[in-house]
Amino acid sequence: MSELILQALYSGVLQGGSYALIALGLALVFGTMKVINLAHGELVLLAAYMAYMVESKLGLSPLFAIPLALVLVCTCAVLVYFLVSLIRKDRELNSLILTYGIGIILTNAVLLIWSADVRSTSSAWFQDAVVVGPFYSMRSELLFFVVASVLMAGLWWWLSRSWYGRAVRAVSSNRDAAKLMGINPRTTEIVSFVVAGILASFAGVAIFSYGVIQPAFGHALTVKAFIITVLAGIGSIPGVMVGGLLLGIAEALTVTLASSALQELVGMALFLLVLFLMPNGLFGAKARRG
Amino acid sequence: MYVSKTGLAVIAAAYIAVPLVLGSNNYVMSLIVASMIIGGIALAWALLGNLGGMVSFGHSAFFGVGAYVSALLTMKTGMPVFAAMLLGGVGAVVASLVMLPVLRLKGPYFALAILAYAHIFKIIATEWSSVTGGSAGLASVPRFPELMGFDLSGKIGSYLIILTVLLAFVAAYRAIRASHYGIALRAMHDSEDATRVVGVNSTLLKALMLFVSAFMTGVVGAFNVHYINFLEPDYAFSGLWVTLPIVAAIFGGYRTILGPLVGAVTVYLVDQLIFKSLIPSGHQLVLGALLVAMIIFSPGGLMPLLRKDSRRKHAAA
Repeated sequence: MSELILQALYSGVLQGGSYALIALGLALVFGTMKVINLAHGELVLLAAYMAYMVESKLGLSPLFAIPLALVLVCTCAVLVYFLVSLIRKDRELNSLILTYGIGIILTNAVLLIWSADVRSTSSAWFQDAVVVGPFYSMRSELLFFVVASVLMAGLWWWLSRSWYGRAVRAVSSNRDAAKLMGINPRTTEIVSFVVAGILASFAGVAIFSYGVIQPAFGHALTVKAFIITVLAGIGSIPGVMVGGLLLGIAEALTVTLASSALQELVGMALFLLVLFLMPNGLFGAKARRG
Repeated sequence: MYVSKTGLAVIAAAYIAVPLVLGSNNYVMSLIVASMIIGGIALAWALLGNLGGMVSFGHSAFFGVGAYVSALLTMKTGMPVFAAMLLGGVGAVVASLVMLPVLRLKGPYFALAILAYAHIFKIIATEWSSVTGGSAGLASVPRFPELMGFDLSGKIGSYLIILTVLLAFVAAYRAIRASHYGIALRAMHDSEDATRVVGVNSTLLKALMLFVSAFMTGVVGAFNVHYINFLEPDYAFSGLWVTLPIVAAIFGGYRTILGPLVGAVTVYLVDQLIFKSLIPSGHQLVLGALLVAMIIFSPGGLMPLLRKDSRRKHAAA
């Protein structure tokens, strides 16, 4: 039994890497623009379908889809930014409805182009089992966990060291003060959308390479990403990374100990629990300090 | 309550002319009834948005709970259909009680927390199969009864029932808006903090609006299940019961009373008659585009654009 639990922990951590990438994008955009992009999961889905297309039509490894996904997803992310910036009044609520609408458009576009069938990779290389110590996983799971870790380390460096990264943090914590320091908030907002798009592209290709995708999946991913940012506490980037792993682990444990039908329930339950008991999230207080 | 002459004429036409002219065409009647079901949810959604200031992505929760409560009551206890429909609404209110803690949250938190509830209810309906029949669903849910020799379960009968339900909703909405609650809610819309300072319990008011909205949605859900006589979790808690009403309410104008109803009939009929035949799967793409366009170009909806003087008239009423 304990082996099963440890194995579930391991799988959960691997899965959590992609979750964290998706949630980080949502959190970055919320930070700079105070907008929850409800179409974020659909952007991830687009990248996943790019991977599917590259594999099924061109016969190449889904990895080659990454550049394609980067271009397409970042373009879409910037388009979302421009649409949101067109909202004149009551932006908090109207942006929710607007991005919800964009999500509907993207989901149905995917449905039109690739039909409602469930897709998964046919690459044997990806699906081969890899053993690390006592744990098993698919090669793609491990590979993309490493990719996610590298990306997160890169993001960490970018946010703390680079000019634009620090601008993103400055605009997130105090928009007016950031303006006074000579930061253009609009540019910073676009940058945050592009970075969110980059993270979403990798996450999408990752999800296709070890899981199954279908058009309705994008919406579920948005919800998961939002749950993670709530777990973390809005504004806490390291919190989001931990939150992604937590959600991955919670889901994997539920599947192992209870049933896969309850997999979604655990995320929702965690989400509501955190909202009620600690509305600032698990790491929210830290974020307020700095 | 004040009802204008045009209003009376429209009501009379809806009760008499529509069944007379279109009643023989089953297909058109079923489309109209379906669009009115969407209209009922859209009205309830808009009430919460307009009076309560809250955007919800989880109204399918109330719709599904209302449907299940009403279906189970009629099937297990033999309760008359209309009584069960009302209790379906009550069931949705009870379901909304567990959402009360969410009312403290603002904007995106409320909108998505309520979505989480909708997912949870769907999972409960699927997993609690001893009561709900699980994912296989409930078949042969009782139909509407006969009333004085007139079979209400047909298309025309169902149309008359949902029409009456919607009119009752409209009357209730107007009554709430005209009451001192309505004034307090309008003040809250401008500044919740300022309204609290003068002694209005804003959380209580929001909770009341959530109850009203949940009740309405629950009744519509209950109507739907007796109309189609079948229920399963994926259908009862489908995202369609969220998407279509939002598009309808935003299109028609969610700050008006008639906007969501007009929007629902227009959007649903155009979607089903035109776009569904053009693009069989994925025709909702058009709805998404419509939503985006409305928010950017006319967030107030079409009704205020069409009738620029509507605000003055409503203020007088």
